[in-house]
Amino acid sequence: MASSGGIALLKKDRIISFHGINLNELVLHIPHAKRLGLRFIEKRGDNLVIEMPYSPELEVIPDTGLMANGAITAFLDTALGAAVSDQFEVFRRIATLDLRVDYFDKPRPHSAVRVKTRCLKVTDQIVFVQGDAYCEDESVPIAHAVAAFSHTELLLPGKDAPETKSDVGQIS
Amino acid sequence: MILDFLKSLKDKPAFDQSLEISPYAAMMGFRFVRRDDQLTTEMKYHGDLVGSPFPPALHGGTVASLLEMAAILQLAWDIDMARLPKAIDITIDYLRSGKPEDTFARATVFRQGRRFATLHAAAWQSEPEKPIATAMLHFQLVD
Repeated sequence: MASSGGIALLKKDRIISFHGINLNELVLHIPHAKRLGLRFIEKRGDNLVIEMPYSPELEVIPDTGLMANGAITAFLDTALGAAVSDQFEVFRRIATLDLRVDYFDKPRPHSAVRVKTRCLKVTDQIVFVQGDAYCEDESVPIAHAVAAFSHTELLLPGKDAPETKSDVGQIS
Repeated sequence: MILDFLKSLKDKPAFDQSLEISPYAAMMGFRFVRRDDQLTTEMKYHGDLVGSPFPPALHGGTVASLLEMAAILQLAWDIDMARLPKAIDITIDYLRSGKPEDTFARATVFRQGRRFATLHAAAWQSEPEKPIATAMLHFQLVD
């Protein structure tokens, strides 16, 4: 098994579960991801494919069929977070340190958007990831994102969890 | 439509407007506020903005979206334009975890050229001197 700083890393293609939920799907159970309607499509080697279905609620301007850039940004943030979680054998607490999104083109009207992620590097504290958003054709991205996430041990409430000083970063 | 909405507000010295004209902005709970001659975009806290139930924290993507909305509204407010500017890119620095409470954002046009504009934006919660995220954004003004 691969390891980084003594932390067990997940093998490619393997999907493991946490309380009956696939690890790479777990991030999709968070309230905002649910609100965006995100769904896990597949894991191909180290790549995750996640979809945000078209919804009129996500239009900035009604009746255009175009989902908001903001929704696509939040989707990319979540998808990259899922890719980070997917790197580890055990669920870890992750936070986005920074995120850069390039908008190449508008999404296709009334079309679902998919993101395919790729993990670039895992260090003992950081995971570097990127992802492409596309509509129908994977080879024609509409947006590209790159991010750095921190990862730390997940401490559940109770006596095991010491008072932690809040650090840089935000939850995805 | 959004440009007309902004135009209708221009002469009002103070306002606190919901953005119900936009389905996405309404879903996010965005409000556009002018107070003491400063423009602020607000994101009213609600459960759908949460990214982590324990400890409760806002989803970082919602803060990114708020920064982007603040920037586009500021740009459209400052510059007379026929169409909404097109986003080119956004770079977000996440500085602090977002608490489950209202979030505020303000953007400034850092540089405006003929075709492009660069904006800086910051988001904060109860303590304005402690931003939870900042962003740099580029927009294309004309096609």
